[in-house]
This record gives sequence, structure tokens and C-alpha cells, in this order.
Amino acid sequence: MYAHGLAAVLMLFVSMTFGLLAGTQLLLPDLGAGVSWMTWGRLRYDHTQGILFGWLTNAFLAFLYHAVPVLTGRPVLSARLGQWLFGLWNFAVVIPGWLLVLAGFSQPLEWAEFPLVTDAFVILALLLAAIQFLPAFFTKGLEDLYVSSWYVLGGLIFTLFAYPMGNLVPEFLPGAQGAAFSGLWIHDAVGLYVTPLALAIIYYVIPAASRRPIYSHFLSMLGFWLLFFLYPLNGTHHYVYSVIPMSAQIGAITASALLGLDVILVVTNLLLSLRGSGYLARDIPLRFVATGTVFYLLVSIQGSLQAQMAINRAVHFSDWVIGHSHLAMLGFATFAAAGGIAHAWQRIPWARYNRRAMTWSYWLLVTGVLLMVPHLTLAGLAEARLWQSGAPWLESVRAAQLHWLVRVLSAIPLFAGFIAFLIGLVTGPRGAGLAEIETAIGLEPVEHVSPRLAEAS
Amino acid sequence: MRALRMSYIVASVAGVLFFVLSVTLLGVWPARVLQEQSRNMAPENPLGLTRSEMRGRAIYAREGCAYCHTQQVRFTEADMKRFGAPTLAWETRLDYPHLWGTRRIGPDLSRQYQTHPADWHFAHLYSPRSVVADSVMPTYRALFNGAPDQPTQEARDLVSYLDSLGRARELAGPEGEARARKGCNCPDDEMPQMAFHSAVINANAGKARREGPTPALPGNGDIVRGRELYQHNCASCHGPRGHGDGAAGSLRPLPADLSEHQYSPARLSFVLENGVAGTAMPAWRDWSLDDRAAVAAALRELSVGQPEPGIPPATLELGARVYRDNCAQCHGMNGGGDGSAVPELRIVPANLQGVRPTLAQSIRVLRNGIEGTQMAVWTGRLSEAELSAVAYYVRGFYQGEPR
Ligand code: HEC
Ligand code: HEC
Ligand code: HEC
Repeated sequence: MYAHGLAAVLMLFVSMTFGLLAGTQLLLPDLGAGVSWMTWGRLRYDHTQGILFGWLTNAFLAFLYHAVPVLTGRPVLSARLGQWLFGLWNFAVVIPGWLLVLAGFSQPLEWAEFPLVTDAFVILALLLAAIQFLPAFFTKGLEDLYVSSWYVLGGLIFTLFAYPMGNLVPEFLPGAQGAAFSGLWIHDAVGLYVTPLALAIIYYVIPAASRRPIYSHFLSMLGFWLLFFLYPLNGTHHYVYSVIPMSAQIGAITASALLGLDVILVVTNLLLSLRGSGYLARDIPLRFVATGTVFYLLVSIQGSLQAQMAINRAVHFSDWVIGHSHLAMLGFATFAAAGGIAHAWQRIPWARYNRRAMTWSYWLLVTGVLLMVPHLTLAGLAEARLWQSGAPWLESVRAAQLHWLVRVLSAIPLFAGFIAFLIGLVTGPRGAGLAEIETAIGLEPVEHVSPRLAEAS
Repeated sequence: MRALRMSYIVASVAGVLFFVLSVTLLGVWPARVLQEQSRNMAPENPLGLTRSEMRGRAIYAREGCAYCHTQQVRFTEADMKRFGAPTLAWETRLDYPHLWGTRRIGPDLSRQYQTHPADWHFAHLYSPRSVVADSVMPTYRALFNGAPDQPTQEARDLVSYLDSLGRARELAGPEGEARARKGCNCPDDEMPQMAFHSAVINANAGKARREGPTPALPGNGDIVRGRELYQHNCASCHGPRGHGDGAAGSLRPLPADLSEHQYSPARLSFVLENGVAGTAMPAWRDWSLDDRAAVAAALRELSVGQPEPGIPPATLELGARVYRDNCAQCHGMNGGGDGSAVPELRIVPANLQGVRPTLAQSIRVLRNGIEGTQMAVWTGRLSEAELSAVAYYVRGFYQGEPR
């Protein structure tokens, strides 16, 4: 758990560095000229793969090590397996994946840029993760699964299906046919993997930290099922106005709209659970998670809108979409994951976080997101307008430049925020005086937490 | 309890079904439709890719070109106007995996066929800013042996791949389009119909062409705007003062030395609308006529005036004779760049009615030829006297405003 948490944050820095370099190259395109591993495309591949695999996956695994035992009342399968999983994930997937891409071995498929060899290890690792975490749920018996558990189960199992689909099928089906599957995976990576696990964290941390059960378990379950029904049906909205059959496009667009409604439902339920609990100000992980929830609402509504043809016609291909993905991955998923790690950290007796650093981290990160996302959105709108107008292409490039500068500058608060986060993780009070700390942060024993996570029955 | 357990099983099965449903509805089924479309709508023998082009494709994939460039013209007015005919399924039949892309920092590339010549591509890949000053495209120097005119095999492969994009569709021609329309068999389907009515396959505004209209430019261009436009769009090739000494020194032919020529308004208008086909000089069709007039004004400012020497009639006569015997089959009897040999030439000979080189430039060209064109070196074939006589003579064709 501890290892995954730290690995997550360290890899986050590497991934962000890739992103920062790629972003800076749009302003200084000759930066690193002639150094093949420094070319924009390769950095760009590693940036998103790093965020998905290096940062988020490690963070999720860290959180699962904390949450699964609490949720199920049973330990995870084996510490030994855990070490293998950790080693495999970081030293057979992420790091070699990065290096291979930099060396020029990759595939040009979104959220699937690591080369095929790496995919084999990803699938193996996902299998190990399933073996590590899932049995606890099944031995506990499925009768009183809390909604977080549903999300964990769903996320782990369906990613096992979706991952090969997105990574392998387009290699064997040509062009447009392959693209139909690619579109599915682009969305499933976010919808069946990142979102369920991030929501698992949110559903876990909110009741655990705010000391009240979730507002409505019925809404939680309804939300869950709608999500798993609708998310996979969204994929084709990445290729609106393409040659893919119109009925499939329309289906995906409709599903996208419904998904937006469903997310409103989910988020309302979550925010209602927080209402007036008074813990938001005191508990920083909760604050992270709650903010992530709000970003989730925003990003989903935005997603539903941009799938609609009239809007998609203009903003597709523009920086608007880049803003959207940062709102999703940096706003929603990262805030949830950071909150999840911090929450769990506080409950490792020999770890704990440093409260001041965490507070700084929170505000710096919020600043970063609020700088970056609106500016990318504005850039997207400017590009969309110029593309529609028939102005020379370069006008759109020139128009985006100021916003690209702001994006690069937003790296300052973001880096500072994550450095504060890391400091927060490693400099917390630890060892002696545990009892004192525990009362200070209002920690309560697991036995008190679990009932709140149980199904209301 | 039992009921509960059952309900969970039902739920899990439902979950799997949801996923299967999505894959079937949005993956398997569309893929089948597309496969069928691909079969029915393709031309009889669509041109494939050569080995070199396939290798170029792999480089394109490796370098992430698809993350700045789409290869998917969408079925929207804006896309069709800017890039051309929307991408049909059969055009992507060789793409394992597809390179559609989802972001455009640079323009769509699916209609690159014959849009830029190889020297432009090499200069552009080696150093995009040397040909497009405000570009943000990365440099791909690792594909060269230290200079833009020293491409490695990889660079050659990549460029031949770029030049293959949209080729099969273009070569299929009107019959190909008709076949696609028939194969589609979708008279009521708005989107494909739109595609079949697209005016051209490749609508790239920078694609140079040999023939085209000469729109009338507004009289007095805004010189301040013109200078700015020049610096941002032309100076990288033609040099800050128009001496043809910009950063793109590897192009052949070299960018014209604008200071050594006088251009008639009609010629400038033609060149801005149509580019100079076969050379790196692109067209600027996406510019407003006002902007074109502005840059034309800035160009006139760059050209250096020269006192016109009085020419003895005997020299002119010699010049005329030399011209008729040696030059007219290319440059045309009246210097219009329309001699009988023109269809055979890769680059159309200078239209001397619209372009007047200075005397020094004319002599230089006759002595050195123009590398990258069929304008040869004449020193071995003409005597010094003949050479300068014809150099005088060709300047007389000019039909622009007198200087
Ligand atoms: C960071 C984004 C970016 C990447 C990556 C990129 N390009 Fe570009 N590209 C651009 C921009 C912006 C333009 C428009 C300005 C220009 O012509 O340079 C462009 C223009 C082009 C053009 C000219 C298009 C036209 O119609 O005039 C070609 C050809 C091209 N790129 C090929 C490539 C190839 C091949 C690669 C990969 C090796 C690549 N690009 C990678 C941004 C990019
Ligand atoms: C990519 C490099 C490049 C850029 C950019 C470029 N040119 Fe050119 N230009 C050339 C080349 C190459 C030639 C052809 C020389 C030849 O025909 O021998 C040329 C030729 C010309 C000519 C002479 C045409 C003729 O009839 O001989 C004019 C005028 C001209 N360019 C104007 C412009 C203007 C105005 C711009 C900016 C809007 C511009 N060029 C941008 C490369 C460029
Ligand atoms: C094989 C065909 C051919 C013949 C024969 C030929 N030219 Fe050319 N000429 C060209 C071409 C092609 C160009 C280059 C056009 C360009 O660069 O865009 C050219 C360009 C020129 C130019 C323009 C130079 C400039 O700076 O723009 C002059 C002047 C010229 N030729 C004079 C002559 C004379 C005089 C003769 C006869 C002695 C002659 N040419 C014979 C094909 C020919």
C-alpha cells in the first residue's frame, strides 16, 4: 500500500514532466530538436500512459489495499502476491512501457500507446490484481456489498475485457472498422476503469470521513447500474460525423446524454451525503474527494454536451477536448485518488500525513486545474471559430498560443501542489504519541467505519 | 437470503450483458457494416501502398503524427471546404491500426497527395519553421543526416507515405466516385450524399496548380498589413528582404529572389491564387483578397528598381533570333510561358509577360540555369554576345506597369 502510494506520486511527477515538456514544445517547438526521444509525439504518448498506468493505477491499488479489508472484513489474498503485483506493474509495465515508447516502439492508439509486448504484462497484472482483491469480496459473500465494492468489482473485471479489445482489435481490423473498437476503448478506459475506481474511492471516503452513511443506498445502486449500462455505449461519440454507421453514432450520442443525467443523480446523492456534516473543513482528504465529485459533475455534463452533434461539429479536434480530458483525469480522477491515498495514509499507524502540506497541496492543485481547464476550453472555442470560418489554418495555431502559455504556467501550481502532497505524505507525525494524533485527527477504529459502508438493510 | 443471492447473480449476468451489448452494437455491428461498405464502395482496383510507403506509415505511427493530425475528413461543411471529400471506409482498408486521430493541432492530412513537393516535405520535416514561420510542428531531424537535403531512408519513406494519402481516391476519379455512390446504394442517406457532391477530392488551399483563375485584387493594398503578412508567411523562404535567402535554402528551385524581379499585378494575383506548381511555393487561396493585395503591395516594395538601358536595335534583333531558336518552344513566342514543350515540363517555364527579371538576374539565370527546373545552363551553347542579347530581349515581353 505504502509502496504503491509513493510509486504513484513519483510516477505522477514523471508523467507530468512528459506533459509539461510536450506542452512547452507547443510554445518552443525546437526544444529538444534532433533528440529522437524528446520528440513531441513520444512525450505525448508517455504523458497519458503515465497518468493512467503510473499514477492512477498505482493510486488505485494503494487505495484498494486499504479499502478492501475494511469493506470485506477480510485481508487481501497474499502479501507475496502484492509484491509481485507491485514489481510487475511498475517494472514490467510502466517503466519499460515508457522507455519503449521513447525508443520508438508504440502503437498510435489513444489510451493504448504502450506497445503490444507491454500489453501482455498489463493483462497479466490486471489478472493478478483481480486475484489479489476479488476473492475477499466473494468469501465475504455478496449479500451486503457496499456500492464501493460494486465499483471495484466492475472496474477490475470489465477492464480485463475492455483492455484487450482496445489494444488488440484495431491491430487486426483495418481502418474504420478498427476505429469503431478504438472509440469504445477510449471511452471504456475512462468509463469502465478510471471512473469506477475513482467513484469507489469517493463512495468510500465520504461516509468514512463524514461519519454518516451515504444519503441513499438505493440511488447509489441505481447510479451504479445505469453507469455500467451507459458508459460502454458511449464510445462511438469520439467519431461523430465519421463514416461509422449513423445509427451507431446516434445511439452513442443518446447514451452520452443519458449518462450526463445519471451522473447528476450520482453526484446529487454524494453531495447530499456531505450536506452539513461539517467535516469538509477539517478533513482534507474529504475535501479532495468532494472537489473531485464536483469536477466529476462538471466534466460529465460537458461530455454529454460535446457529444451532441451541433456542439461536436465545432469543438471536436480542438483544445476544448484537451480541457475536458484534463478536467476528467486531473480534476475528477486525480482529486479522488489523492483524497483516497491521503485518507488511507492517515490510517497507516506509522505513516500519517502532514496537515499543513496537505492543505497547501489542495489549494495549489485547485488553482492549477482552474487555470488550465478554462484556458484550454477558451483555446478550443477560438480554434473552433476559426476552423468554421475558413481562415488559414495557422490562425488557429496563433490564437491558441496565449492559452497554451497559461497551460504551461499552470504547471507551476500543479507541480508545487504535488510536491506539497509528497511532502505531506512523508513528513507526517509518526511513531510516538499515536493515540494523541488519532484523537487530533478524529480517527476511529475500523469497526466503526464498516457499518456505515454496509448496505442499508 | 437465497433471493438476494439470486439477484446478485442476475445483476452480474446483466452487467456482462451490458458490456457485450455495447461491444456488439458499437463495435461488431458497425465493423461489419463498414467492411461491407468498404467492399462495395471501393474502386475496382484501388491503388495500394508500396513497401516504402508502408514503412513510412510505421514512422508516422511511431512519431505520434496522428496526435496532431487527423486522417479523417468528417462529413461536415467546414471539413469539406477545408480538406475535401470526407473519408470513406475503403480508403482506410490498409490501416492496421487506423490513424484517424482525435486532435488537430495541425491540419488533416488525408488529402496530402500531390499537395506539397518532396523538397518542401524534407525542409518541413527537418525544420518546419524554415518553411512555415509560425508553425509549431516538431522538428524531425533524427530522420536526416544533418541537413534537409540529406534525408535518410526513413525520411524518404515518410514523405512517400505522406504523398500517398488520398491517392487511391483521387486516382479512382469520377468513375470511382460513381462506383462508390452505386455501391453505397443510399440515395436517402444525407451524409454520404453530401460526400458524393463534394466538388473536389482535395480542397487544400495551399495546393499549387498549373492552371486556375486570376481574381482581380483590390487596387491599393494596406502596406503595413502586407509587410506583417510577408514576415509571418513568406520571409522564411524568400528572406526578410526578399532576396530568396530565407531559412529554406534546401528547396529546389530556390525561392524566387523577389528583389530581382518585377511582377505584374495579374501575375501576383495568379501566383497567390495558384502557387507555383511543382515548386515549394504554395498557393494562398484561403487568404482574403484584401490580404493578398496587401502582400502584393509589400512585394512591390521589395523589388529594386533599375534604370532601363537603351538597347541598340541590332542587339534586340539578335536577341529575338536567339530566343526564337532556343527559347520559344518552352517560353512561348510571346514569352507567356506557353511554348509547345510545356506539357512535358515538370515546372512551367517563367511567364515573362508577368515576370520581369533584372538584367543581371536574366544573365545569371542563363549562365547558371535554375536548379530543380528544366531551365538549363546556356553558356556552352550561346556566345557571350548572344547570351546578353537574349537576356535584354526577354525583358521586353513584360506587360505589367512600367517602372
Ligand atoms: C505538435 C503537433 C504536430 C505534430 C506532432 C506533427 N505536426 Fe505536422 N503540422 C503541425 C502544424 C501546426 C502544422 C501546420 C503548420 C505547418 O504547415 O507547419 C503541420 C503541418 C503539416 C503538414 C502540412 C499540411 C498541409 O496541408 O500543408 C504535413 C505534411 C505534416 N504536418 C506532416 C507531419 C508528420 C509526417 C508528422 C509526424 C512525423 C507531423 N506532421 C507531426 C503540427 C504537428
Ligand atoms: C515554402 C517556401 C515559400 C514560401 C513560404 C513562399 N514562397 Fe514564394 N516561392 C517559393 C519558391 C520555391 C518559388 C518558386 C521559384 C521558382 O519558380 O523558381 C516562389 C516563387 C514566388 C514568386 C514568383 C512567382 C513567379 O511567377 O515566378 C512570388 C511572387 C512569390 N513566391 C511570392 C510569395 C509570397 C507573397 C509569399 C507569402 C505569402 C511566398 N511567396 C511564400 C517558395 C516560397
Ligand atoms: C526546356 C524548357 C526551357 C527552355 C528551352 C528555356 N527555358 Fe527558360 N525557363 C524554363 C523553366 C522551367 C524556368 C523556371 C520557371 C520557374 O523557376 O518557375 C525558366 C526560367 C527562365 C527565366 C526566369 C528566371 C527568373 O529569374 O525568374 C528566364 C529569364 C528564362 N528562363 C530565359 C530563357 C531563355 C532566354 C531561354 C533561351 C535561351 C530559355 N529560358 C530557355 C524552361 C526553359
